[in-house]
Amino acid sequence: MINKFFLYLILSIFFSLTSYSDSYLKAGDTLIWDSGNKNYTANGDVEFKNEKFIAYSDKMIANYIEENNKEIFTIVELFDNVVIEFKDEIFRGNHAIYTRDDNTIILTGDVSIESPTRLLTGYELIADIDNNKRILNSADNESLVEVLLDNDEKN
Amino acid sequence: MISYLRNKILNTLIILFLGIQVFIHFYNQKPLTKEFSQKTITVENFSSIVLSKSGITKIGSEKLNKIDDNNIFLEGKSYLENREYKIYGSNISIKIAEEISNSNDPVKVINSMGKLKAKGFENLDYESIIIFKGDIEFIID
Repeated sequence: MINKFFLYLILSIFFSLTSYSDSYLKAGDTLIWDSGNKNYTANGDVEFKNEKFIAYSDKMIANYIEENNKEIFTIVELFDNVVIEFKDEIFRGNHAIYTRDDNTIILTGDVSIESPTRLLTGYELIADIDNNKRILNSADNESLVEVLLDNDEKN
Repeated sequence: MISYLRNKILNTLIILFLGIQVFIHFYNQKPLTKEFSQKTITVENFSSIVLSKSGITKIGSEKLNKIDDNNIFLEGKSYLENREYKIYGSNISIKIAEEISNSNDPVKVINSMGKLKAKGFENLDYESIIIFKGDIEFIID
């Protein structure tokens, strides 16, 4: 019994130490940390994960603030070949900007939103994560598609 | 006769002392024209602090090689630490006047956002910019 308990304890410690954090940033070429202007610029096969989504792009600029001696990303901007995976949805575009304050993602340029049941395309996508709301605009703004998802389940 | 000899000896001594004084005077005034060449200085298990724009940076290495007055090479396992970051790597070059350090060896970094791994880095301390190179993995706490 004691042996099993110790085995469980050791395994728990091992997995907690080796498991991935909720958030990470990967880059294939460079990561520039500008502590004067409080931002990070990642270049080449960028992969960024936070507690909300996983994003892929060629370049990323993330601004941060310092709170209680911790750095927190406030605005994350993604450039070129942007793919954002959010639950069962995939957003694509040429440019994206995520704002932590209102938890929204705005994608522009050949935007698409793909889910198991639909594929929509347009020029601009505004994804309001907290309110489960997606607004897809065309380039000329003549047609507008607003998709309001089931709001029962909060993200 | 004795008085004559005494004067002679006294005069000789005065002339001798004056001559020595002239000799010392000229050799003291002579400008130093000889050039000294600085040899590379090596210190093992070294640690020190450096004052730069970003504040006090602690540096350390298995072996420190002072190339010249402006260049230091931290050989073997080395580190740079200040209030913003801790950089652990190896074979780090430092240009003191330019406040630049860099390495092409794998590096681990801890800062107030998380832990980072890269294949190399260039720290432009005077601009508060660090460029990490290679496959970068930044685990955010």
